[in-house]
Amino acid sequence: MLEPVMFTGGLYKHDLVVELVEDLGGYVLQKNVTQTEIILLILIPSEDTAALEALSKELRGELVRAPLAGTEVAVVTPTLAIHHLPHTACDIAEYLRRHGSKTNMLGLARGVGREIAQINEYETALINEHDAAVFIFGNFQECIKKKECLYRNISVPVVVTGGPDMSKGDLPYAFEYVPSIGRVAHRARKSTEIGTLDKIVEVVGRALDKTRNAIAKDPLTTSPPRVMDAVREQVPEVEFSYSPLPIALNLTGCRVKLPYEGYKDKVAAVTFDEGVKLGEIATIRPSRMKDYILVRILPNSETGFVF
Amino acid sequence: MDPMEVFKIEVTGQEEFGAKKYRELIMDILQDLGLIRSIGKLYVYVDIMKPVFAVYGLLRSGIPPLTVKDVGDVLKVQGGYQVKINDEEHMSDMLRVLWNHYGRERVEQPARDIVIIASDASPADLMVADLEAEFLQDLTDALVRIAPEGFRNRRNVMTKDSFFFIAAEESLTPEMISEIKEKIGEMENA
Repeated sequence: MLEPVMFTGGLYKHDLVVELVEDLGGYVLQKNVTQTEIILLILIPSEDTAALEALSKELRGELVRAPLAGTEVAVVTPTLAIHHLPHTACDIAEYLRRHGSKTNMLGLARGVGREIAQINEYETALINEHDAAVFIFGNFQECIKKKECLYRNISVPVVVTGGPDMSKGDLPYAFEYVPSIGRVAHRARKSTEIGTLDKIVEVVGRALDKTRNAIAKDPLTTSPPRVMDAVREQVPEVEFSYSPLPIALNLTGCRVKLPYEGYKDKVAAVTFDEGVKLGEIATIRPSRMKDYILVRILPNSETGFVF
Repeated sequence: MDPMEVFKIEVTGQEEFGAKKYRELIMDILQDLGLIRSIGKLYVYVDIMKPVFAVYGLLRSGIPPLTVKDVGDVLKVQGGYQVKINDEEHMSDMLRVLWNHYGRERVEQPARDIVIIASDASPADLMVADLEAEFLQDLTDALVRIAPEGFRNRRNVMTKDSFFFIAAEESLTPEMISEIKEKIGEMENA
């Protein structure tokens, strides 16, 4: 069982952490360098966390559990206009990031209004590439109820946030409703507001656990971090991608940030130690996000084996 | 405490929370844009089932236009006038006005905050900026920000001492406007 943790510390000697993680059979998911500080998102075998804790203590770093690491969450607002951004949307996105998730902010083209709100097929498909979605709505009950049409066709769990206190029964298509974070014109700084952000993280965590449980019933042929590691090793061009995170992990696969046409065959030809090729155990599709490659690992029921 | 004399907000249906939040939101936005002191009374009417959003406000007494003597101290010196700038925010506007009025060759700026004009006519009463027009522009911006985003059919009537803003999703009809005016009149008289 791999444990998701986040290491924050000085740049000096951080490679000792990376080496230890690799020696223990864990994975470094993301490396963020900010001047002399570094933030590492790590998956480490749970029985070995004590070793990593000891090392981070020695390096005067901080090691915290990052329950959302290795997942991608979409934070969806009705548009990208000043009415919805920056306060609520950025606060939620930033808070999810601090708990380890890869967060994408998404503004719909025509998500505004009560009667006129719409979502198109492209937007739906793009949100479906994530592991969960957080929809940010406003202060009026009637609007929140009416805007259900925006996420009715989304297959990943949808967490809805809004201002008024409503029961979950009013929103049958949502995974959960988190109240008291509607449209506001200031940053979240009061303890009640921060408490609401904590609630969102907790609910998103639960939504992801639900997906994890569903996957556990028919496990994936191999784990997404392993695919990420193999692609990083055998397609070295990915390290030259301009994205801050060249391979983004999902619960069911990953997104390789290289042009689809140029690299799809190379990604499909990635070979594991067992002699299996990635193309045999996963579907390689064009992603809806830019021109990237979307890798979806097939479950045990389709390939007949797990390694 | 509200800095306005009257601030009423009415939302139809079971939307007490929305009304409370919109009150905070309007205050935040007006404060951000520095408009709150210029508005005396404010009435907001929202019918979310139609849906329509209307604001009627009464403005405090008009703002006089900004003149050269408000921007800096005007002194008579040998061969003309000297302006010692106190408020650099309107410096560029003032220079443009002086250039237009006296011509560039007669306006000299020996130091960052000193302008010397070679003329016998005092520049003290020249108008630098129409603050009232700027205020009305900012107010329109604030109203567009306050109204829910999907409400894109808007009408904004501004007079010297009041403004009436209405925004809706559907086309605005004369009947709708008069009905809302009536509702706001009721709020005013209540």
